[in-house]
Amino acid sequence: MFRIGFIVNPVAGMGGAVGLKGTDGLFDEAVSRGAVPRAPSRAEEAARLLAGLPIHFLACSGPMGEESLARAGIDDYEVVYNVHKERTGATDTIAACRIFAESGVDLVLFCGGDGTARDIYSVLGDSIPILGIPAGVKMYSSVFAITPEAAATILEEGLETGREMHIRDAEVVDVDEESYRRGELATRLFGIARSPYRPGLVQMTKEVYEDPDEERAKRNIALFLREVIEGTPDILYILGPGMTTAAIARELGIPKTILGFDAVKAGELVASDLEERGICTLLADNPRARLVVSIIGAQGAILGRGTQQVTPRVVRALGKENIIVVATPHKISQTPHLFIDTGDAELDREFGDSIQVVTGYMIARRVRMERSLPG
Amino acid sequence: MKTKILLDEDQMPRQWYNIQPDLPSPLDPPRHPGTGKPLVPDDLRHIFPMELIRQEMDDRRFIDIPQEVQDILLLWRPTPLIRAHRLEKHLGTPAHIYYKYEGVSPPGSHKPNTAVPQAYYNMKEGIERISTETGAGQWGSALAFATQLFGLACTIYMVRSSYAQKPYRKSMMHVWGAECIPSPSTKTKAGQSVLEKDPETTGSLGIAISEAVEDAATHSDTNYSLGSVLNHVCLHQTVVGQECKEQLASLDEYPDVVIGCVGGGSNFAGFSFPFARDKLKGTRKDLDFIAVEPAACPTLTKGLYTYDYGDVAGLTPLLKMFTLGHDFVPPAIHAGGLRYHGASPIVSRLVHDGVMRAISYHQSEVFDAAQTFARTEGFIVAPETSHAVKAAIDVALECKRKGEKKTIVFNCSGHGDFDMSAYDAYYTRQLADYEYPDQLIREALSQIPRVPGA
Ligand SMILES: Cc1ncc(COP(=O)(O)O)c(C=O)c1O
Repeated sequence: MFRIGFIVNPVAGMGGAVGLKGTDGLFDEAVSRGAVPRAPSRAEEAARLLAGLPIHFLACSGPMGEESLARAGIDDYEVVYNVHKERTGATDTIAACRIFAESGVDLVLFCGGDGTARDIYSVLGDSIPILGIPAGVKMYSSVFAITPEAAATILEEGLETGREMHIRDAEVVDVDEESYRRGELATRLFGIARSPYRPGLVQMTKEVYEDPDEERAKRNIALFLREVIEGTPDILYILGPGMTTAAIARELGIPKTILGFDAVKAGELVASDLEERGICTLLADNPRARLVVSIIGAQGAILGRGTQQVTPRVVRALGKENIIVVATPHKISQTPHLFIDTGDAELDREFGDSIQVVTGYMIARRVRMERSLPG
Repeated sequence: MKTKILLDEDQMPRQWYNIQPDLPSPLDPPRHPGTGKPLVPDDLRHIFPMELIRQEMDDRRFIDIPQEVQDILLLWRPTPLIRAHRLEKHLGTPAHIYYKYEGVSPPGSHKPNTAVPQAYYNMKEGIERISTETGAGQWGSALAFATQLFGLACTIYMVRSSYAQKPYRKSMMHVWGAECIPSPSTKTKAGQSVLEKDPETTGSLGIAISEAVEDAATHSDTNYSLGSVLNHVCLHQTVVGQECKEQLASLDEYPDVVIGCVGGGSNFAGFSFPFARDKLKGTRKDLDFIAVEPAACPTLTKGLYTYDYGDVAGLTPLLKMFTLGHDFVPPAIHAGGLRYHGASPIVSRLVHDGVMRAISYHQSEVFDAAQTFARTEGFIVAPETSHAVKAAIDVALECKRKGEKKTIVFNCSGHGDFDMSAYDAYYTRQLADYEYPDQLIREALSQIPRVPGA
């Protein structure tokens, strides 16, 4: 029996419907503007499709999960966390996740937005896979399925007998709601969770033999980049955040801060977890330098989200031809349109409408870029 | 205004045109894979029949086509030359566009033009079985067809990614009595060593060639046959260009632009060499030859002009050609027949010397062109061929912009009837626009000497 920790953030998404761009700290305002909870019904939609599958749910009481399960006709659940207050909050999410972790669930299925994902990740890290049913205002994290049905399908297919659930790395992105409401998007890579996904199905209509295995794809990219880096000992390389760049560091045998920028030259680590100033100093000392970055979050950002250290000044100092983008084929299929958002629109335009992305050993693709920011 | 320009059977060429004596200087000789010394005919005897070895380094300008071979070629030759009236109109171009349609052969491409003589010469010299590689399956099915007509057995190593993409090519080879094995396989040492390194590999033509050569070299009754690249293969394909020239002459036309797709280079060679003769002689100095290749595997546009092996394992002679490196495994584009790291030494030489030029396209833009072609001319072409279609359309559109009334001819090398999964992938937006990161690859390779003595 597959054990799922199930949690709904009932207030998620309420602000969005009434033009508030997020609900953090604005619940009363949202309610006064006439917002009604939507997460419980989104969760119910997904749960309905899971009824009948061999799943045992560990749930939170009332609107935090129990109600959605009951309405969906699911009876194999137990309530492991009781909501005491009228209004639920982050502390409830965190407390419930601690219980899930102690009870040893196989996966946590949650319904909410980026804030919810962040709270859950803060407890579980990458110890237990998590999957989001989208209900929030902002969903820049890659732990979300596209729709409630999609979330159910991922689980359903993953639970088919004789199949192994496919797990990938998925960024949890933290959006600062204050500035988001002012129309700025200040995101930060909060962490990298593990999340189930539907692998590229080997159907006749699909690109056959695209590597469905993310780990292998990352290794192939890493192998290639190692050869490039070792073949150019006079060039300084700054490796950006994420698991693909981490694989390159592993291949080089150097440590990597998963969320930060680290510099390497001639196979040796030069500096770790660089901020803008540190990068600029290194660039001043190294006439030849390159930046290796991957795609961050579910929206296809190459620069600008989760990579605040790379300011327009840094990009200009580097030169756009010295930016190497790497990503697994799977990642690209999830984010078919990439975009660059350095915070300087003119600079962004200089990148043109497509970019080369290294996707394997000696293999690259040309991928289209969006002009305007999605979301 | 005619649409189809047809020749009578008695107008089929009786001789192949050999371009070698017309080259400004002789080709660099192929070299022995072990010693690096120029090859002597005996070096090839264990895998090729003598007559083909002779044709490989021949100085005769015209070589007779054996009667038995002609009799079979007449099943589908001469092939039609078609004026693309509807495509021209659709594009609004003043240019004249013609395509030589090789899709009418039983296997559906230009490939049997050489498969038949190759099987014939092997039969003549008492060989019982032929081994070969195939990418998209066009070559494998052509050789299956040809060997069966001469009573030879045939073993085909089919690149794994194509084996999955094109299951009916495999069925065709069965109908013609051949054995088709996905490559890399465990049947050969070359295949085993690739699988050990990478069990999930997509395979490549370079790997499949190693397997087929090894099979032939280790069995005395078996010879190897290559579907492209080599001089004798290009030679056999010259029936295409010779016919085309005559067909155009019957309309008082002569091309300004000659276009073909390039995998190993055979269809482009066979189509263009009879015209290139005029340029080399100096009578058609401005004639423009365009070799079209995929951005995923841009041998002529991004490769190095140097000696390299024709296969992954380094079993074939070293050839002076444009190459991306014999161990390069190109991404699994649908134009499987264009996934080759090298190219015909003669085509390479002509491109290197500026007699011809090469361009490359991404996968989705060539399918855009193939769709346009299918919706105007009707023929659904092979993904390989769609590269030539794309170039012809681009040249025609340039003529429109400049108001030029050029005559454009391209070799329509094969039909796409067994490639519908590729079209499906196009319509479901599953096509990745692969390209070759040449700068990075050069840097990655800078430390590693690849080929001994090169
Ligand atoms: C239809 C078609 N065109 C072109 C090619 C490319 O080969 P070549 O360059 O030898 O003509 C192939 C190879 O499989 C093919 O099947």
